[in-house]
Amino acid sequence: MAEHAATLDVGNVGAQQADAGARAELLDETEFQDLYRLHARPLWAYVYRLTGNTADADDLLQEAFCRMLATRLATRDDSQLRAYLFRVATNAATDLWRRGGRTRRREEPLTDRPAGAAHDRGGAALKLDMARTFRDLKPQERMLLWLAHVEGSEHREIAAALGLKSASVPVLLFRARRKLAGLLRKKGYGPGERS
Amino acid sequence: MTFRACPEEPDILGAAADGRELPAALKTHLASCASCRDQVEAVTFVRGLAETPDAPHQLPDPGVIWWKAQLTRRWQAERAASAPIERMRWVELAAGFASLTVFLAWQWQGLVNLAARAIPAGVTAASSAPQALSPMALLLITIGTASVGAMILAALHRRLGGEL
Repeated sequence: MAEHAATLDVGNVGAQQADAGARAELLDETEFQDLYRLHARPLWAYVYRLTGNTADADDLLQEAFCRMLATRLATRDDSQLRAYLFRVATNAATDLWRRGGRTRRREEPLTDRPAGAAHDRGGAALKLDMARTFRDLKPQERMLLWLAHVEGSEHREIAAALGLKSASVPVLLFRARRKLAGLLRKKGYGPGERS
Repeated sequence: MTFRACPEEPDILGAAADGRELPAALKTHLASCASCRDQVEAVTFVRGLAETPDAPHQLPDPGVIWWKAQLTRRWQAERAASAPIERMRWVELAAGFASLTVFLAWQWQGLVNLAARAIPAGVTAASSAPQALSPMALLLITIGTASVGAMILAALHRRLGGEL
């Protein structure tokens, strides 16, 4: 429950500026550097999974941080700022798709490049296939699943980030998980087959 | 379509998300419930994908992001500061049109006569009986011309400014 009190109101981090008046401040360079060190890598992983494109992921990361730097923030709480960044990045990704599906066209082909261990061919192939399977989902489904199960965001935070009603989130998540399970079955990743 | 999740699903997913061992009762349920198995499988997959390291990628330089944000902020401040000037350009444009309209309405007949004298058939008549424009008409012609010129310049300025 303490976690519930700490998170919250992602949408109000920026909005609080109006109420907080003089308390709301722009980040200074040191604060920004600290936040960047802490949140840039997970945020990049998220937008990369959404867009499937390193250039777009870089753009979205920059845009999220730039927007944060332009906003007078009423809080310096890490968890709230993290949620705020993910929300801004989600909105920016949605804008990107609305501008004509640019990302879909530019999705980079997944190549059989192992992340670190070049010798681990089996691991690399598995990773590749996992990434492909995730890309078979719709963008909104990817966002929902990532925010819920990787970021551990609450339903109302997800709703705020995706512009949905809170009540719709469990339903959409259920459907996204069911769809993903179906895709996994199709690819032969049934229970016990992946390990 | 009606949304019907298994009642045990929240507990099972909670355990899967935390990596906790399922109690015996839930394990038994999971073995017999295809829907819950699907849900757990999907959560496990997404978490596994997140834990798989990506190919090494150099993140954008935070210094560049900081610089870009400062530049954007300065640019926005400049835009906010110049907003009244931009608005005044529209007032200027409207004033130009208004003075031109007033002038045309007031001196329409004189302008028609002037044009009639300019055509070849009227050249002789014009030279035999030249009509001088009143000082007020001259003033209004000057103002009108200046207004039109200002409008053209303002439009050109906006166009060039927008492209820069």
